[in-house]
Amino acid sequence: MLRDLSLDLEAGSFVTLLGPAGSGKTTLLRILAGIEKPDSGRIFFEGVDVTALPVQKRNIAFVYQQFINYPSMTLFDNIASPLRVAKKKYAETEIKRKVAETAELLGLSGILQHLPEEVSGGQRQRCAIARALVKESRFIFLDEPLANLDYKLREELRADLKQIFRERDGVVVYATPEPIDALTMATHVAFMRKGEILQYGEVRDVYRNPAHAAVGSYFCHPQMNMIPCSMENRESGESLLRVSQELAFEVSLDRQKLPSDRYLLGIRPHHLYLADPLNRMVPFQANVELAEVVGSNTELHLSHDAVRISLLMQQVERFPVGKKVTAFIDPDELYIFDSETGTFVIRTGNRFK
Amino acid sequence: MAKIELKSLEHRYESSHKGKSAFAIEDLNIAWEDGTANALLGPSGCGKTTILNIISGLIKPTSGEVLFDGTRVNDLPTRERHIAQVFQFPVVYDTMSVFDNLAFPLRNRGQDESVVRARTGEIMELLDLSKLANTKSGSLNPAEKQIVSLGRGIARTDTMAVLLDEPLTVIDPVLKLDLRRKLRLAQHELKLTMIYVTHDQHEALTFADHVTIMKDGAVMQSDTPEALFLTPRTPFVGYFIGSPGMNRLPCEKTSTGLSVAGSPIAIQESIGLAANKLDGTIELGIRPEFVETSIEEKPSWNRMAIRSVDYAGAYQVLNLESGTVRIKARVEERFPSQEGDFIWAHFPADKTHIYVDGERLDR
Repeated sequence: MLRDLSLDLEAGSFVTLLGPAGSGKTTLLRILAGIEKPDSGRIFFEGVDVTALPVQKRNIAFVYQQFINYPSMTLFDNIASPLRVAKKKYAETEIKRKVAETAELLGLSGILQHLPEEVSGGQRQRCAIARALVKESRFIFLDEPLANLDYKLREELRADLKQIFRERDGVVVYATPEPIDALTMATHVAFMRKGEILQYGEVRDVYRNPAHAAVGSYFCHPQMNMIPCSMENRESGESLLRVSQELAFEVSLDRQKLPSDRYLLGIRPHHLYLADPLNRMVPFQANVELAEVVGSNTELHLSHDAVRISLLMQQVERFPVGKKVTAFIDPDELYIFDSETGTFVIRTGNRFK
Repeated sequence: MAKIELKSLEHRYESSHKGKSAFAIEDLNIAWEDGTANALLGPSGCGKTTILNIISGLIKPTSGEVLFDGTRVNDLPTRERHIAQVFQFPVVYDTMSVFDNLAFPLRNRGQDESVVRARTGEIMELLDLSKLANTKSGSLNPAEKQIVSLGRGIARTDTMAVLLDEPLTVIDPVLKLDLRRKLRLAQHELKLTMIYVTHDQHEALTFADHVTIMKDGAVMQSDTPEALFLTPRTPFVGYFIGSPGMNRLPCEKTSTGLSVAGSPIAIQESIGLAANKLDGTIELGIRPEFVETSIEEKPSWNRMAIRSVDYAGAYQVLNLESGTVRIKARVEERFPSQEGDFIWAHFPADKTHIYVDGERLDR
């Protein structure tokens, strides 16, 4: 499941393990927490080897995807339970204070006397998270905690979790398949695929400089388009990038030359447009396969010469299936990846370098 | 297909443990025009599924009318209502081929085999099922099965409406797109009256030309996706639709205009004048994408502190603060802003809604 994996997590960081289902996120999380044992390799918490230490002795908290609470206890008692079973004895006044503080953070103050079944799904998961926070563990592990919540609740909880965790100096590790979770909440991201970490770094750095087509494509919301293309070097010194018979354009690669070959052209959906007021972009014809309204954006699924391309408009608009449109590519926002290995080769433009 | 209408509809469930009857639906009026794509959107428990069951005849409403093309069908049994349904879990005859599944409702009505073949062929062509015609339905993936259940529902030409209840729930994410596209295409080509029930705003806004937002058994707004976004009738709709939701600014009336409670934020004169004379509680609403921002001072714009920045890749959301008021502004990915900086924000009058006692004022 996991292969030759090394990761160094700084205190105060909020790390997302990002990747598709089956990439090994949950396994890694459970090994970090001590719920599972690795076949080989070691785990250190603040320099101390904890590989052999059972989960109860690691000073960690774990939040699952399912909202796990004690059904017969009030939210107050649920949140208080880790303090009551802790080895260190807490005075009842201290328990009250800690529960009240944690409940305040998670917006549960008014409903502490309710049973879990009497509150909403979002509040149940907030309660489970409060239980993880209350004993102030140095290490908090969360496994897709928002997966079972609806869209709006997820949005709200994401904003709250970001605020809550930025004020703590332990390590938070959060496994998720959703790039938006990593983008909006985390300080760092480890991108996983097939049991390996393809890239690890600060969130914005990984987003802007994907080391691999798989990272570029996945860690983008919606996914980055990966379009097969060819590159021909012209006598003029420019490189001609060709996607189809009719879509070919010159790109400036900062005086670098690439061998004439097949590549993958990476374009973020929001760097494609339906208008080009400054007349500096590359037009192409496409058919609308489907227009999806997502929040305040419209995602257009286009087809161009058997290539599927998605385009993100930052407004709400409707398009009939099959409508013909002219779309524009921003030539300064392109990524080129090796078509065999997927490794990053070069990007156009010079922003964010 | 038909126009489907609900008039003054009410439905009460006997609440088992409290001995009181509880309203699931109260005074509901909705009309779905013939041949249109519609969605019923709302959180779980808002009464969406109850409405579908009332349309199909599985539940008799406590009071009110259900009309198909203007004719009252309250007393018509389910079988005679000719409603096609697609559920969360695909319902197909596993041992039958795709062709036989689609032909089943036609043969069942004793249609001539040549008619059966022609119609089934037409539906298979439309739904891209022709190459699977002889495949046993049991061996299909869930998305294909869902297409077959849709096809069976629309094979009959006397179907009045197609009801879909969370049809994408069990479909793998990569296949969802294709299924959405086919639903959309079939609706468009055959001018189906479709009602799609979901709690997912993404699915509702994508599928439907007309979306009804429900909360606690009542309609909050029934409109096009654009209108729900541009002119939300209540602050709830403004918040529920869009990501992040609409900003809400509670206001106080002054002698000459309006001021934002707890903040020196300046309100445009035209809005102040429009709102000053009104009775009731006044609240302003503006979407994060319509808040204009500048890193340089601009006359009559509002100086606000950046509390934090949410990076979303394609854009950033600034969490702004002035006094006790907090708002969100959506800015482009390169906006050079940092936590702790001050920026200037402006709320264009034509993008700012006035809510009086929770209802949008039409200006």
